Amino acid sequence: MGTRRRRRQERARGPRVPSRTARPALVAALGLLALAASSCGAPDRPGRSREVRELLTHEPASFSLVGKSDYHTERLAALVTEGLVQFDPDLTLVPRVAESWEVSDDHRAVTFHLRDGVRWHDGKPVTAADVAFTVAQVRDPAVESRTWLPLFRDVAEVEVLDERTVRARYTVATPDFLEAWRVPLLPRHLAESGAELLTGGFQRKPVGCGPFRFLRHVPGEEIVLEANADYWDGRPRLDRLVLRLLPDQRTALRALVAGDLDLMVASWDLWREALDADRERRLASFVYYRTSVWIIRWNQAPESPLFRDPSVRRAMMLALDRERYVERMLGGLGRVAATTYHPDLPWTDRELAPLPYDPAAAERLLDEAGWRRPRPGAPREREGRPFRFTLLTAASTQQIVDHTAAWLQQSWAEIGVETTIEKLDWSVFFERLHAGRYEAAMSGLSTTPSPDQYELYHSTMREAGVNSMAFADPEVDALLERGRESFDPSERRAIYHRLQRRLLELQPVGCLMHFATVVLHDRRLRGVEASPIDYWRTTRGPRLWSWSEED
Amino acid sequence: MLRVLGRRLATGAVTLLLVSALVFGLIHLAPGAPPGAADEGIRSLGAEATAELRALYHLDRPLHERYVLWLSDLSRGDLGRSFHDRRPVADKIAERVGTTLLVNGLSLALMALLAVPLGALAALRPGSWSDRIGGCASFALYALPVFWAAILLQMLFAARLDWLPLAGVRSQGWELLPPAARVADRAAHLVLPVACLSYGGIAYLSRFVRAVLVEGGLAESRRAARARGRSESGVVLFHGFRLAGVPLLTLAGFLLPALVSGSVIVETIFALPGLGRLFVEAAFQRDVPVLMALTLLTGTATLVGTAAADLTYAIVDPRVRRGKA
Repeated sequence: MGTRRRRRQERARGPRVPSRTARPALVAALGLLALAASSCGAPDRPGRSREVRELLTHEPASFSLVGKSDYHTERLAALVTEGLVQFDPDLTLVPRVAESWEVSDDHRAVTFHLRDGVRWHDGKPVTAADVAFTVAQVRDPAVESRTWLPLFRDVAEVEVLDERTVRARYTVATPDFLEAWRVPLLPRHLAESGAELLTGGFQRKPVGCGPFRFLRHVPGEEIVLEANADYWDGRPRLDRLVLRLLPDQRTALRALVAGDLDLMVASWDLWREALDADRERRLASFVYYRTSVWIIRWNQAPESPLFRDPSVRRAMMLALDRERYVERMLGGLGRVAATTYHPDLPWTDRELAPLPYDPAAAERLLDEAGWRRPRPGAPREREGRPFRFTLLTAASTQQIVDHTAAWLQQSWAEIGVETTIEKLDWSVFFERLHAGRYEAAMSGLSTTPSPDQYELYHSTMREAGVNSMAFADPEVDALLERGRESFDPSERRAIYHRLQRRLLELQPVGCLMHFATVVLHDRRLRGVEASPIDYWRTTRGPRLWSWSEED
Repeated sequence: MLRVLGRRLATGAVTLLLVSALVFGLIHLAPGAPPGAADEGIRSLGAEATAELRALYHLDRPLHERYVLWLSDLSRGDLGRSFHDRRPVADKIAERVGTTLLVNGLSLALMALLAVPLGALAALRPGSWSDRIGGCASFALYALPVFWAAILLQMLFAARLDWLPLAGVRSQGWELLPPAARVADRAAHLVLPVACLSYGGIAYLSRFVRAVLVEGGLAESRRAARARGRSESGVVLFHGFRLAGVPLLTLAGFLLPALVSGSVIVETIFALPGLGRLFVEAAFQRDVPVLMALTLLTGTATLVGTAAADLTYAIVDPRVRRGKA
């Protein structure tokens, strides 16, 4: 196997010529190609193509860069085009297509100055009119820009002042306004408007101003991008980036081990195998924590009285030995969460410790709340009603979700609480969640680098936002409102630190843990940098990846 | 004969209509309505935008109106646009139907080619050691789960031995190859999926053929032929076809829909862009237009298959022709 594998690895970096059949002829041809490439090829990688093949598990829902936006469309858009600003790895928003900007004294207007020399892939310059056009598209519901539309909700108008100056006016002043301007820019002279953007010619061959040009898409197989030599911030170090569609994670892992793939994110169920695969000489791995957390929503609406009492919610969390679960079941690839605030963000109070594992305290709190065991070891009840509830989970292909639910059930049984697990299809789960038809529901929650979690916790956000648990606390409301009005970073930090303490105290949602993201890649691939908003989303994305010579 | 055909077509069309209405209703009755209320992403757009979008997808109309709309589009040959990505459903199916037809067609052909001789061989000496061993092997194969076999085959032939490609329908850089090498590359990619799709069928069909032939007295005919000093192989062939032909044709009719319905597991593990994967993706996305089109396709194939089987019956078997088919 050794020689075969080595041969395959050499081939893996060479021109991608299929090899399994007609082997002798192809091997000979490959030798010739390798020779040819080494004599005239790229100076820093003789004989090896500067191409990276990355795993894509789902096809983007749209190739229109902003339409139907989800994780996979954003992934494509971040390569093909760019926004006015972008996060750097420290999660600071830095200028990209915009060179600079000024904010008015009342914080209700921002003027962007566009960088000179930023061009669309067809050579035309990026102008202020393109920015205004992009915002108009994103704000059109027919474009279904789920990610971007909500971020532009407070924008009153976008004015083109001249070729390279654009001003946005806001209906209300918000400190986090800049984040929206990461929106991937569209070329006005090429893209269609409205619903047409999702169906017209542009989405068949999207054009942007980003580091990679869209080359082709073979449905169900691959998306091929090539380096944009005219990129304003320097040509990418790679020649091509191929996003390969492999729907089955295990197939992808085998492809990675075999050298048919260079980079993939391993799903939770593959963690163990993935880290074993890491022992293969040619693979390297790293782990990072995205801005997301696994939570249990406790329904606190009047019609669901079980979890209205904060001390009951607290008892439920005290009954969980999360440290041990992370160690034993997740192989250490998780962090116990204190609140929904990601531990690595500047707004997070790092001194705040998660609730400990303290089953005795949990039992005491439940006793005090009137939920007593009729005899030792028996399930708890109050006024003849047993403490029994249903925990909703979304059916996932990941077994870890089932394991976690089972562990919760068992932990709560130990403090005399009976849990039924109801596993639902994703869309049914969300339907029930938003309608508030549940007692407790477990799911992942993605947050952003902004500290504003108004939609999750504010009492007015029960219908419109994600506060389906009907949580309401005057102090939390006031803190959330003040956080949206404060423009002084240190004052804001104090507000959000206070908010996190209050959240830890009231437990509006039970925060379980942050799950790790495991990235596996060819060890010769350099420059892949993790950040809480993924390894590809920051200013130091795939354009800085490169192949190293040493093995 | 023509009247039989006409009647089949008419009942077929009515059945299809009923099936489509039923499926349309069921999709919408199932909890987790199509995009709109349940979609977390769409919710984030706000109430006004959500209402506008629901109108765009006709989701604000009552169910029966939507069905009539779908039917009238269909009558103009328009399968509509996917809810998921707004692409025409016909395009989505067209780009995937080839893979599914090829893989399933090859595996059906392989089944037919291997199952009949294997079954006949077993039927010649029913109860013998070779028959018993063959029987055990068939049952073992039939019971072997595809997802497991597929992974083992991948590990052995692709990962360890490196004889065959791991997944996909062609290698990268395929378009740069000379034509002969392209065909060889495509063929190499098909070996494992076709093997996975056909082994269960081969096991099942060979037992089926054996049962039909044993019941029909193939072994006795052969013995009689030998006694009369006639050619054994000729008798085996003649009786074999006469006995197994009609049941096999019926079975083939039933297998026709499998040609277009695709296999979810095999297509996912081997990363084949086929209709099986499309169907599952559409089901998860509650992509009604795609689901309806695929249902229609499978339904039509089922009806055509059974009708074809009935007609061949009528041709092969005079009793059916004259009687009340």
